[in-house]
Amino acid sequence: MSIKPTAAMTEKHILLQGNHAISYGVMRARPQVVPVYPITPQTPILEKIGELQLSGEFDVDIMTAESEHSAMSASITASLTGVRVFTATASQGLMLMHEMLHYASGARAPIVMANVNRTIGSPWGFWPDQTDSLAQRDTGWIQLYTESGQESLDTVIQAFRIAEEVMVPTMVVHEAFYVSHALEPVEVPKQDAVDEYLPRFNPEHRLDPDRGESWGNVVNQEMFSRHRMNLGEAMDRAPEVARRAGKEYGRVLGRSYDILENYRTEDADILIVGFGSMCGTAKVAVDEMREAGQAVGLLKLRLFRPFPVEAVREAVRGVPRLVVMERNFSPGVGGVLHQELKAALFGMDNPPKVHGYLAGVGGMNVSPRMIRELVDKAMVDEPVSESVWQR
Amino acid sequence: MANSQTEIPTTWTTGWTDVLETGTWRSAIPVHAWQPSPCHVRCPVGGAIPEWIRDIEEGDYHAAWLKVVENNPLPAVTGRVCHHPCESDCNREQLEGPVGVNSLEHFLGDYALGQGWELTGPAEERGQSVAVVGGGPAGLSCAYHLRRLGYEVTLFEARPELGGLLRYGIPAYRLPREVLAQEIGRIIDLGVKVRTGHPVADEAELARLEQEFGAVFVAVGAQRAKRLPHLQEEKEGRILDGLGFLARVAAGEVPELGRKIAVIGGGSAAMDVARTARRLGKVVSVIAVEKREDMPALPEEVGQALEEGVSLFDGSMVESVDTGGSTLRLSCLKATPDPEAPEGEIRPLSVEGTEFTLEVGGIIVSVGQELDSQGPAVVLAADRSIVQVGDDFSTWRRGVFAGGDVATSVRFVSEALGAGRRAARAIAAFLGQEGVEMPAAASSDEVVTSDDVNVFYFPPAARATREQAPVRERMEDFREAVQVLSAEEATGEAARCLSCGTCVECDNCFIFCPDMAVKKDPTRNEHYYVLEQYCKGCGLCVAECPRGAVVLRQEAR
Amino acid sequence: MAMLEKSAGYPAKNYDIRESDVFSSGHSACPGCGEALAVRYVTNTMGPRTIGVVPPSCIAIICGPQPYSSMKNPVYQTTLEASAASAAGVRRALDRLGKGDTNVLALAGDGGTYDIGFQALSGAAERNEDMVYVCLDNEGYMNTGGQKSSSTPHMAYTTSTPGGKPGGKKNIAEIMAAHRIPYVATATVGYPDDLVRKVAKARDMKGMRFILVLTPCLDGWGLPDNAAVKVSRLAVDTGVFPLYEVEDGELYTINHGPRGVPVQRYFEIQKRYAHLSGEDMGELQAEVDHGWELLQARVGCMVSGRKT
Repeated sequence: MSIKPTAAMTEKHILLQGNHAISYGVMRARPQVVPVYPITPQTPILEKIGELQLSGEFDVDIMTAESEHSAMSASITASLTGVRVFTATASQGLMLMHEMLHYASGARAPIVMANVNRTIGSPWGFWPDQTDSLAQRDTGWIQLYTESGQESLDTVIQAFRIAEEVMVPTMVVHEAFYVSHALEPVEVPKQDAVDEYLPRFNPEHRLDPDRGESWGNVVNQEMFSRHRMNLGEAMDRAPEVARRAGKEYGRVLGRSYDILENYRTEDADILIVGFGSMCGTAKVAVDEMREAGQAVGLLKLRLFRPFPVEAVREAVRGVPRLVVMERNFSPGVGGVLHQELKAALFGMDNPPKVHGYLAGVGGMNVSPRMIRELVDKAMVDEPVSESVWQR
Repeated sequence: MANSQTEIPTTWTTGWTDVLETGTWRSAIPVHAWQPSPCHVRCPVGGAIPEWIRDIEEGDYHAAWLKVVENNPLPAVTGRVCHHPCESDCNREQLEGPVGVNSLEHFLGDYALGQGWELTGPAEERGQSVAVVGGGPAGLSCAYHLRRLGYEVTLFEARPELGGLLRYGIPAYRLPREVLAQEIGRIIDLGVKVRTGHPVADEAELARLEQEFGAVFVAVGAQRAKRLPHLQEEKEGRILDGLGFLARVAAGEVPELGRKIAVIGGGSAAMDVARTARRLGKVVSVIAVEKREDMPALPEEVGQALEEGVSLFDGSMVESVDTGGSTLRLSCLKATPDPEAPEGEIRPLSVEGTEFTLEVGGIIVSVGQELDSQGPAVVLAADRSIVQVGDDFSTWRRGVFAGGDVATSVRFVSEALGAGRRAARAIAAFLGQEGVEMPAAASSDEVVTSDDVNVFYFPPAARATREQAPVRERMEDFREAVQVLSAEEATGEAARCLSCGTCVECDNCFIFCPDMAVKKDPTRNEHYYVLEQYCKGCGLCVAECPRGAVVLRQEAR
Repeated sequence: MAMLEKSAGYPAKNYDIRESDVFSSGHSACPGCGEALAVRYVTNTMGPRTIGVVPPSCIAIICGPQPYSSMKNPVYQTTLEASAASAAGVRRALDRLGKGDTNVLALAGDGGTYDIGFQALSGAAERNEDMVYVCLDNEGYMNTGGQKSSSTPHMAYTTSTPGGKPGGKKNIAEIMAAHRIPYVATATVGYPDDLVRKVAKARDMKGMRFILVLTPCLDGWGLPDNAAVKVSRLAVDTGVFPLYEVEDGELYTINHGPRGVPVQRYFEIQKRYAHLSGEDMGELQAEVDHGWELLQARVGCMVSGRKT
């Protein structure tokens, strides 16, 4: 089949929804096998991949699995057989994959998966809520959160590089509809540039009759413990590896990324700490407040797992207050970022006071005005340990 | 923390489980070893029956024959007359019926005669000599084995020809003269010196033999007929004994007895007498004290006799006979053998109210044999009913051995052949040859029983039977009644043999081991060996060995 | 009959079986395990150019403790429900790497095939994934102590159905045939030549190939150590487990059917059936007879001019 040059082959801006941006990023990364199962609001990712494959632009094997659990199971074995693998899911599908997420990280399979944050049943809903990916924070996957289609495309490509360097599976997360279905102009980098950035995946250990190694036998306690320690060590290297990957991306492909982003944080009295699409709204609110003379900034986390403790401590040193606005809820403990942030700061000299607000749970709209109101509240109120519901 | 070079990787294997010795789990281990088959244990000649049957199946008749004549030099004879105890315990019986070992030996024996195969002589001459007294089966067997062990043998026979009861007792329709002559001739051709018409009459002659030869084997048989007290010889010669009758017929003489005769006795000899009389045109009644199923004669012999028109009065006895008159009147009645009679003796108990009479022209009494009243048997027996011998067949006279009917009450052709063989070895040992001892007999718990055999592997196959000429034809004269199997039939019958206890390398043990702990090694006698470090002792190999050639042995720990 | 035509001379082997050397001794199967025997023949027939996928099961234990494997070809152990999906992932990757000649073998127990693994199996069959899927069926969750699975037969004792299983055994071979995959077959260790022939035949085909192997469990079924082969033969000879093949879901070939042995002979040597009454036996005999009739009816029908 002859290849028609499309916009994707040249550095051009295309109007793409966030999900399709991921599809283009995936295509550039050249995975060999993509097992997928559809779920709202992830389906455009796999649909676009399907179109790109059919047109001949994307040479890939798409496996239409009969469930997400099977999609992840097949992803792990394909990866261990020595090829680059991508898959995508959301919400219920991610829940169904949960067992295999643990399995993948234990297998040290450098799979990259896109997850579209969506409320988890019951009851049913299709709204942007980050509880689904946050509930996987113990599974041993690296987690990167994006706020735009461009960021998603760029982050997917970086994710392969990070995952394959530390041999830990990595998920790239953006929210339903706010990011997944929002159209924006996206620059799709050239293939040869990405090929330079992302070398071929060629693992030493793999399922191969010429190597004769097997994987998955029962281990004893000492081996298990050591295995977890090894995984932990790999995770610990991830922030540094992610930083380098983001920097290198800038050098080769023109846009640099760090594991967190400081937006107008200089001399701040209070910082909003967040991740995901709410950061976009927060940047608007910060501009408004700075305009009004308030010393407010935004600390956006790109890397959530591993939690970038050192980098966050560095970023908040000397800042009196932090306010977290959560698009997630863990019953019994409140907002996940609120909880992890406090844990990260524990032991610092003069840690900032931290306020946590449950604003945006279940996809509730969080406007710049609400953000300003919460900042004002946080400036005045004494913080309480629990996350506070915001109506 | 351990040195990273010796740390076991937690992912990806580095080797295989064959370093793990699962043999420590077991409490019993299989052993591939030849196990005695029931036919082998029962055979008085000690034949390696499964092995030569296998040779027949493979089409190597010569190899089969060589194995047979290793023990028995007269297969064409025994193939016709042996009482085949091998077949009684044959494990094939639980399927369609025992393997026709006898018919296969018959086949081999005749084939060998047809091919003119010769017996193997001694590897070396030892320069010593032995005298064998008696040219019947025991003597012929002993002469044969002694010759092969390297001794000079001189065979003394009282009668004009060799053969003993084979010639003078068993009728020609059961054992043709040519067959007998050829098989005996083959033994003599090994260099046995023969003196027929040369009885060893008394102690003096025996002593001369003891002087002249290194050892003497006495096998003169028990050729005097037992008589019943009320059926002694009568003045007109109308009451005969069976042995005498058969010997005269064998010599070509037909005794005058009238048209109807009665034969008293229930053994093989009585059947021979009855059937011989039938061929001479007589009307024959057999009176046997045992019930038909208990008669000592082989069932097939009784059946053939009945086919040939013999009337059987079983469970009956003759109380008295009236010899005055032109015919003999027998007063008979039903009887049962006394269960409390001593071993070997038949004491009939009459049943009142069951009288019947028979009128016959002659009576032939065939109720057993005894030692001769003269000759070496008398010298050696010292008033006993048989010559007492040790396990090595030695008598009380140093250097004089005895075997066969003269030294046992278990009187069969094959027993005599077996005695001759074992005695030859004992004599060789006596004469100083080393390494000739007989191997120990198999214990009863070693014998392969039907429980040890896996019948799944043996598809049904009917037993081949030797054809008989129709009754009318075979009664015309003394032609052989039974036909030998064809080569095809023999191969088919040989294939029925389960080869109990003798491995045929079917590989089942190798195939059914879940731990691959049974390995093949064609250079070993046992063909297989067990990897001790892996075998878990489950016994699948034992259960799936079709022929019980692998057994589990307990292991002490 | 088990005995093949005799060749001109000895050794008269009952079974003509060629094996490669993939499966090693030293594995942890119970002494006399029927499943280990099946693993030997399946892996040694598939050959070394094979990647295996094994879920939790007795097979996984037989695979060996880290760092040793009992199989010389690479084996990946997956979760209980994921065998077919995991195997599909291996296959897809191999094909992308140009290694189409490397076989993929899923080797799962009945739990991982009939129950929790069924969805993945059905999905793989629908996609006609190119693999050989062998189910080693010991009719229960034996590795975890003998609980019931949907493969457990009617009235059998298990620790989760101590009164005897109320329902019948799911007919997985028929279900897989209904998926119309290229090859479905049943086999057992009592007829090793038949098992080997089927594995070799499947190996050399393409597409989804499913083989169901009945493998007696000594502990779970209540058998002495040396009985696995005998009892599996009885399963065939009584008609409880006929050996047959189905190609493309249509063409049925019966290899070994019942030989007139009453089912009682099969049940009476297994402790898991010790509680059966005479009436129960009669009922089970009727079920077996009926099942055999149904199977036979499938053979030899003409559909659209093609004999099934």
